[in-house]
Amino acid sequence: MKPISLRITLWCLALSHAALAYGAEPILKSGDRVALVGNTVIERARLSGQLEAALQLAAGPEVKNISIRNLGWSGDSVFGDSRSYFGPPQEGRERLVSIVSEIKPQVIFLCYGTGAAMSVDQGWTDEPIHKEPSASGMEGSLATFSQGYQEKIDRLRSAAGGSLREIVLVSPPPLENLGEPLPDQTENNARLAIFRDRIKQLATDNQLSFVDWFAALGGDDFNGEVASPALTNNGLHYSKSGYQILGRELVKGLGYGETSTIANDETPELVASIIEKNRLFFHRWRPANETYLFLFRKHEQGQNAKEIPMFDPLIAEQEKNIEAARQKVFAGQPKN
Amino acid sequence: MKFFQSLAATLIVATLAALPAHSQNGLKDIPDTAVSAQLEAFQLIEGAKVNLFANEPAVANPTHMNWDSRGRLWVVSSPLYPHIKPGQEEQDKVVILEDTNGDGVADKSIDFATNLHIPTAVLPGDGGAYIANSIEVLFLKDTDGDDVADERQVVLSGFGTEDTHHLLHTFKWGPEGMIWMNQSIYIHTHLETPYGIRRLLGGGMWHYRPETQRSDVFMKGLINPWGHAFDEWGQSFLTDGAGSQGINFVFPRSVFATSPGASRILKGLNPGQPKHCGAEFLTGRHLPDDLKGLIAAPDFRGSRINLFKLTDNGSAYTSSQVPDLISSKHRAFRPIDIKMGPDGAIYVADWYNPIIQHGEVDFRDSRRDQKHGRIWRITFDDQDTLPIEDLSQLDEKALAGKLNAPEALTRQLALTEMRNRDPKAVLPAVANLSVPDGVDPDLVALRKVWASQTLNQFDEKAAVALLDSKNHKARAAALRAIYYRAADNDEALAIASKAIADPHPQVRLWAVSVLAQLDVKETVTTAMKAIDGVELDEFLDFALWSICREHSDRWVADAQEKNPFSSTRQLLFAVRAINKPVAVDQILSALESGEISSDQEVTDIADWISKTGSPENLNNLFVHTLKENASPAHQKAILTTLASAGRIRKIQPTGDKNRLNQFLDSKNDVIFSEAATLAGLWKLESARPGLQSAFLAAAENQGRAEATLNGLISLGGPPTAKLFDSEAKSETSTFLIKSLAVRGRTRMNPAAGATLAVEVLQNAPDGKDPHGIYAAFLATKQGPGALAKALTNAKLPQPIALVGVQKASSAATKPEGLVKALQKAADLKPMKMALSDTEMESMMEAVAKSGDPHNGEKVYRRASMQCLVCHAIGGAGGVIGPDLVSIGSSAPVDYLIDSLLQPNMKIKEGYHTTLVTLKNGDSFAGAIAREDDNELVVRDATGKENRIPKADIASNNISPVSLMPPGLTAQLREDEFVDLVAFLAQLGKDGDFKTPPNRYVRQWQSLMPHERTRDAIGHYGHQIFTEDIKTYQWIPFFAKVTGGVPIPEMPKVVGRGRNRYGVARTFVDVSKAGPVRFKISGKLNDLILLHGENKIELPADVSEAEITLEVKKPGRQKITVSGLNGFGLDDVKVEVLDDAGTVQFIDVKEF
Repeated sequence: MKPISLRITLWCLALSHAALAYGAEPILKSGDRVALVGNTVIERARLSGQLEAALQLAAGPEVKNISIRNLGWSGDSVFGDSRSYFGPPQEGRERLVSIVSEIKPQVIFLCYGTGAAMSVDQGWTDEPIHKEPSASGMEGSLATFSQGYQEKIDRLRSAAGGSLREIVLVSPPPLENLGEPLPDQTENNARLAIFRDRIKQLATDNQLSFVDWFAALGGDDFNGEVASPALTNNGLHYSKSGYQILGRELVKGLGYGETSTIANDETPELVASIIEKNRLFFHRWRPANETYLFLFRKHEQGQNAKEIPMFDPLIAEQEKNIEAARQKVFAGQPKN
Repeated sequence: MKFFQSLAATLIVATLAALPAHSQNGLKDIPDTAVSAQLEAFQLIEGAKVNLFANEPAVANPTHMNWDSRGRLWVVSSPLYPHIKPGQEEQDKVVILEDTNGDGVADKSIDFATNLHIPTAVLPGDGGAYIANSIEVLFLKDTDGDDVADERQVVLSGFGTEDTHHLLHTFKWGPEGMIWMNQSIYIHTHLETPYGIRRLLGGGMWHYRPETQRSDVFMKGLINPWGHAFDEWGQSFLTDGAGSQGINFVFPRSVFATSPGASRILKGLNPGQPKHCGAEFLTGRHLPDDLKGLIAAPDFRGSRINLFKLTDNGSAYTSSQVPDLISSKHRAFRPIDIKMGPDGAIYVADWYNPIIQHGEVDFRDSRRDQKHGRIWRITFDDQDTLPIEDLSQLDEKALAGKLNAPEALTRQLALTEMRNRDPKAVLPAVANLSVPDGVDPDLVALRKVWASQTLNQFDEKAAVALLDSKNHKARAAALRAIYYRAADNDEALAIASKAIADPHPQVRLWAVSVLAQLDVKETVTTAMKAIDGVELDEFLDFALWSICREHSDRWVADAQEKNPFSSTRQLLFAVRAINKPVAVDQILSALESGEISSDQEVTDIADWISKTGSPENLNNLFVHTLKENASPAHQKAILTTLASAGRIRKIQPTGDKNRLNQFLDSKNDVIFSEAATLAGLWKLESARPGLQSAFLAAAENQGRAEATLNGLISLGGPPTAKLFDSEAKSETSTFLIKSLAVRGRTRMNPAAGATLAVEVLQNAPDGKDPHGIYAAFLATKQGPGALAKALTNAKLPQPIALVGVQKASSAATKPEGLVKALQKAADLKPMKMALSDTEMESMMEAVAKSGDPHNGEKVYRRASMQCLVCHAIGGAGGVIGPDLVSIGSSAPVDYLIDSLLQPNMKIKEGYHTTLVTLKNGDSFAGAIAREDDNELVVRDATGKENRIPKADIASNNISPVSLMPPGLTAQLREDEFVDLVAFLAQLGKDGDFKTPPNRYVRQWQSLMPHERTRDAIGHYGHQIFTEDIKTYQWIPFFAKVTGGVPIPEMPKVVGRGRNRYGVARTFVDVSKAGPVRFKISGKLNDLILLHGENKIELPADVSEAEITLEVKKPGRQKITVSGLNGFGLDDVKVEVLDDAGTVQFIDVKEF
């Protein structure tokens, strides 16, 4: 799909990134709590487990007991639109801040920008003062995005507290053309490239790590061709094989180089326990029936909220399984 | 052996279930789970029979079902509902049921998927099935031919889960090949689509086309839109599981109740009807003719299926209820979906549960059924059922032929099957489709258009050709087909421009909808032509209002210069819609010149200027009222709006305001009252003497007194304080004036008001507080504390203290100190609110054994109980609380008892109290009726709407306190309480307390005793009750559950000698001149019936008569019934025999 020369260039970029990281501390350490924060691409990563598996394996055998929490939410914006229930986006930001200050992660990955880049004319937030600018074309939308992202970085940094070591900004991955009748994404990819540049700038300004999924998956070389093989289901949302590549490129971008090349298909136990842990954690942090459990009808059914923390031991159990499974992989015995 | 095993299992369960005692009590209520018990409990419409198609374990708690093109039924079930337990697997499933031998019973069932989390919809198609799975829509597919899904893909995600009975639901293929999906009130959805972000906060409906991945919001609002049916011409009708409006006609951008931030909403077609889950048009050869074309809507609370008949009405429809299809005495029969089957029979999904939801009943209540589920099949004796066909086996020609099937399901399944075929083979076959005898050729042409859309190969030319159809339904449907892709269609503007002047309002409605999709400048100027030449009904008016606002950037700038529309009338509509001061000078000069002069238009202008205009504009209006020949109607409209501009926007007209004083002499109460209010708002010192003397003179005229009170408070200062002090203490003042003086003083200074209040309350006649003294204290921050302090060493009679305790206990600010002070002052023991488990158990037993629901209804209807003021039953009664039409069949008895004793314990969704606190400490509690940029309108517990300036609001919170006061039942003896509960527990169950579908007149007004009647009746007869006498006082009066109007319960109007009459009147809207048929029943000898002023002769010595009224002029008709109280006179029923297309009921508030 991509010309050879470009593949080599990319490869060199990845190597040079790894080289930059050489000698620096590896990003993941034993006992780390890691928060994945973003919109749909993050939320759906919990279903295939591929992204987390890549991180778990990249960290290597000496690093143990990494605990990863997927806090992605479909259609979310930097203002937290999707995370609010009955209130304004502000409520969504508070919800994120609250869970992050509960988890106290050492590492936070942030991935925003897809929805915003695709909606620069129609708007992408209901945040009162930013609603109109978000719909005012590229320039206004981008400025609004930067401002919201900066605020998010600042707030999450203070929410995570002293244990936080790293915030990693990850650019949105590129969109694909899958041909008629699905829409042509050429224009959206051009917009995404501009958003990526701005995110990279934010990383530099804030002295944060940056991973360029957009470039790594060929976004910069996109010329409108129909993807083959496709990594997405609809040009936008990545399939399981897509997430394998996103995982590989994420850890490469973090400087882990080739350690991530163990194919996840060979690690069914690891992937299965990640998926199960994610399923349990979802019911723990984003339970259904919030209205009755925690919000304005809790005087009616709030008594049932006591069940929610009962997911904790089940999650802890799965994390043990995850650790056991990865150690098996490292020991070279991936199968039972 | 098996017996012992199950017995042992039961014992273990019983031992393990450590639940509160009273939730166990209800176990006595658990109905027999045997299929035979349910079969025995059904009552069916004539000629129908019912059989079991499928049941547990294949289906357990089914939530939704749909057929595939092979004639198999896909059912999705959720025993996991309402909430997953820690450690519980996600094991909800989709099952495929098949009747392979055509005997009407499923003999094959395959678990297609068994790993779902509270799935709420299933829709087979595209070689698999789309499934609503909480936050996501899944597409599951079987690739190896065993009918078990082995591929799973998330196709959409980001749907909210804030409440699991609100989750995404009601999937349906539209005739145009899109998937339609609904979500409910608490759900907030955020989709990332290949076309950008789409959000829907609150209830509403989506459509989604799988091949393009385009999802869009179609309409917003409704509480639980759990049913969606397309009629033959592709119009959409929704039902609502909580909205009580029956059938809802929806169209693009329409907005209904509870949509967040809505400043205007539309209503359903059957206000006051039961609530529904599911909707299906009854079609096809197997059905009796009188059922064909009706829409069926399962009333899962009332364990029955209602039927409605739709009639065209302007741009929309009217809907009349006709007798039920099926009903059951079995309390676990919960019909939640209804679908016509491929054999022409009617299929009903029965969720099977004695408990229907989880908002008010504990998630883990042991009475929840999580095992059973039934699919019932209803057939008719007179016609054979049809053979089930496997459409997947048909060639393209035969498949295309199915588009003309008389059964709507077959037509829809044929379209779905076409999606599996090569369009190149299907489309030619569709093109050759012939027109069957008796079918409108344009309907067949429309079906061809739909087929092209279903294959995503829209034949736009064919759609455009249909715009010349003689049938307006075909023209409207063609516009709907064009609507979806209008934004990409260069011809769309030209098409809509022509259709906007269509003779039929429904075609205009769709033309506006098409325009709203376009990105061109002329959308609104084109749309506004729709107001000329047809009657602008609520739906078309809404669509126009909506486009004026959504596309305001296309016309507002032009309108600032000169009128871009064809008339000033159009301009006025547009500027009012956006509620902004655009083109004010143009409108005002039209008012000045007399170009605009109708009362309605002047009222509209005044209302708009008051909301948006400048002080100079207000002065223009003010000047209009001062003209010598100004009409009182114009004066009233303008003064009212000047007052609201002063209150909400705090602006006043420029110029000399002393000109107002002339209105303080007005004999017209309304004009006087508005002027008095304005005098205060404008701080018009010159008006003070006039206001003071008016206050003293008001005596018993509450309207005048209240208005002067407002004026005097606003003027304020020592003179006002002195006046209030002396009037509150005066021995000669009426109780009204004393009460108002206390209120006035309290507004100025709560502590001073409290000192006055104690003595006035001590002497309150009958221990009542009809003029709102307590409310005045509860409405300010310092009020409750001040009154509590003043009561420290005082004594109050118990009745008046009890009133205070009730009011304070239901106040959203929870003033506990005041409650204690009132209790101490009257030596009241704190009311016993909660029952112990043992008490609850014996109470429930008493209800079951000795409760008399007939007496309970009398208790319910007592004026002192105030039940009817807030709660309707089947639309008869107030709207402040939920309609109780089927509360008995949906709520357990312990829930009813708790709710009466402790209203705050469980609050129905949509009925939460919002507490709005102003910056000055004042507070308003109630439900948010509507809002716009400047104001919030809160409806309080008395039904009064308070307009609150947004600028004044400090906070706005949902309060955990119910609007229903606690202690309402404290006045009852225990046996009366038991009867009341027994009555509520029967509501909606089969028997005397299920509202019949007959069109009984349920909303009446009854006449209060009046001095004139004793003598006048002798001279003029009963016609005196039809006269417009201003001093007649008519109060709302509602029919009983049966539809009967109990005349002896009405106020006694005095006649000659010892004759005492009950007099009731109602109004109905009749659409056309000619005969209108009614049925009246009761003791006709003692009844007088009047239509307008004309007495209608009733036959003697019968208890029921059909009567025909000749309507000469369409519109409102007044019907008056007067009954002579005496032996044997009890309930009178008046039933409208014509459908809603001819006669529509009018809400008592609009009499």
